[in-house]
Amino acid sequence: MATVSISDLRKAFGKTKAVDGISVDIANGEFFVILGPSGAGKTTTLKSVAGLIDVDGGAVTIGGTDVTRVEPYHRNVAMAFESYALYPQKTVSENLASPLKSGRTGKYNESQRTERIDQVTTTLGINHLLKRFPRELSNGQRQRVALGRVLVRPADIYLLDEPLSHLDAKLRAAMRAELKQLGAMSNTTTLYVTHDYQEALALGDRIAVMRKGRLVQIGTPQQIWRRPADTFVARALGQPEINLLDGVVDDGRIRLGDGSFDVPVPRDARCDRGDRVRVGLRPCDIHVVDANADRSAIHGRVVLAERLGRNVELTVDVAGAELIVLASGREGVGEGAQVGLTVADSDIHVFAAGDGDTPRLGPVERESALEATQ
Amino acid sequence: MARQELLPGQKRFSIGAAAADVGLVFWFIFSLFPIAWMLLLALKNDQQQTTTYFQFSPTWSNFATVVSDKGTQMTSVDFKASLITSLINCGGAVIVSLVIGIPAAYAAGRWRYRGSEDLMFQMLSFRFAPELMVIVPLFVIYNQIGLFDTKVGMIWVLQLVTMPLVVWILRSYFQDLPEDLEQAALLDGYTRKRAFLMVALPIVRPGIAAAALLAFIFAWNNYVFPLILADTNAGTVTVAITKFLGGGGQAYYNLTAAAAIIAALPPLILALTIQRYLVRGLSFGAVKA
Repeated sequence: MATVSISDLRKAFGKTKAVDGISVDIANGEFFVILGPSGAGKTTTLKSVAGLIDVDGGAVTIGGTDVTRVEPYHRNVAMAFESYALYPQKTVSENLASPLKSGRTGKYNESQRTERIDQVTTTLGINHLLKRFPRELSNGQRQRVALGRVLVRPADIYLLDEPLSHLDAKLRAAMRAELKQLGAMSNTTTLYVTHDYQEALALGDRIAVMRKGRLVQIGTPQQIWRRPADTFVARALGQPEINLLDGVVDDGRIRLGDGSFDVPVPRDARCDRGDRVRVGLRPCDIHVVDANADRSAIHGRVVLAERLGRNVELTVDVAGAELIVLASGREGVGEGAQVGLTVADSDIHVFAAGDGDTPRLGPVERESALEATQ
Repeated sequence: MARQELLPGQKRFSIGAAAADVGLVFWFIFSLFPIAWMLLLALKNDQQQTTTYFQFSPTWSNFATVVSDKGTQMTSVDFKASLITSLINCGGAVIVSLVIGIPAAYAAGRWRYRGSEDLMFQMLSFRFAPELMVIVPLFVIYNQIGLFDTKVGMIWVLQLVTMPLVVWILRSYFQDLPEDLEQAALLDGYTRKRAFLMVALPIVRPGIAAAALLAFIFAWNNYVFPLILADTNAGTVTVAITKFLGGGGQAYYNLTAAAAIIAALPPLILALTIQRYLVRGLSFGAVKA
């Protein structure tokens, strides 16, 4: 258990800046998720904390000690690699015993080792695989062994690099739930890297959204979801992606599309009359109502209805603009139907106008100060 | 005639393919012929060695002569001793190459540092020039520093043959090895040296076996270095074989052939023993495909 503090971390590979000035403080016992697309620098950040990368600048502090120039085997961190990195010539039990045998994670005799391995393999449900070699395991089993090699030893920090990414969807959901329940995980400071927003929202005490080597926003899942700092964060979270519509502010309303429909300006948005803005509406925040019953609703025609399990994804044509709406399916609207759409004022996100990633117009809970989680 | 349906995997007879097969068989016989000729020659007696083709009275005596005799009437070569010298020279060269070459290959495969590519290229460049080009200066140097006709000297010079081979082959093996494996060992609490010994080395064992075998064969078959830089003390079997050609007197082709066959045995035996280590794909399952 330890705090982790990263300040102004920099690392370039050739001309590519993999990590470009990252600063973050992680509290003791916190489950901290770094979320970002591939190539954002997530793994580089993680390996910098592990000491596997010679950083170009900045500092990494673990438990109050500057470890920037400390060898990885002196840092007392455990890491699960995205590639699993199991030793191919060793069996599962030998793989799990490896960190216990190095002598740098504490001294264990044979029976203590067996006990620890037994404990962790029971938790992960892999104790029938102890005699097998990694090549004889499925991806899901390898994943568990890699996790087991992390959990089997006491460490100041757990570093998990996309530990669920190569599992199929069902197993991933199951493992996600398991991860959260692991006792060791809740007691040990954990840095978790993922590109899956659901994992981030489900697991993280706090989430840092990363793009091109920089942190775009740090906050609790709630803050990241409710108040995305810019359109990049807004788009990174949620499936289907958030709807972004160009609009003009006019008299407390924002006119959208060809100007024939509008939404109110949310209370905390900072924009003035005549401003050009982008409005973000999450598909799940848009509600389908009877087109005739609610005069204030936005009116449109359903172009496409796709059933996705428990939800129906509707593509609605509203005065030439296309809105994606996630409906429960109970409304019973089919393609070609006229529908009314409503959105709560607090679910309307206003961003600056322009192409690419534009910032939120309004308060963003950006935080970098140390925050206790429990 | 109606065309018959083919089973899956069954091929229709074609003249082109049949001609190719016949051609390959001929090529196979042709390429085996020198070896067959050598075997036949080794079984002929002195009288028949130049007068017969396939019909002769076979005898094993040539092998006995080569092994037991400390030379024939015409030569003064101790073939058995040269065989042992060869084993020491080549074995020594391969061992030294592995001890120095494996860490060198690891460093070259894992890290790029200033001049690392130049260093690798320079090592390969030993093999560009014909040995005959460097042999005269080497001969002068060896004479002056007292390495002429010593086993140490031979091991040293055979190094030039085996080291580049070992380093270049193993470097690609180490490059193929995912770095994550050693990094995992570092985080398990092992030093870089132990990570190398515990993780990287066992996985590239097939590569080491292959490189060692190739290096041994190249060293074993080297002719020019022992011919010029060694004599009776450190002379190798390749040179000893040619002594049976008589050097101006009668040429014992049959003894030469017998000696060549015996000389080919050690690499052959080594290749057969090492074969089971030559399997690749040992690292399968270590990391995701």
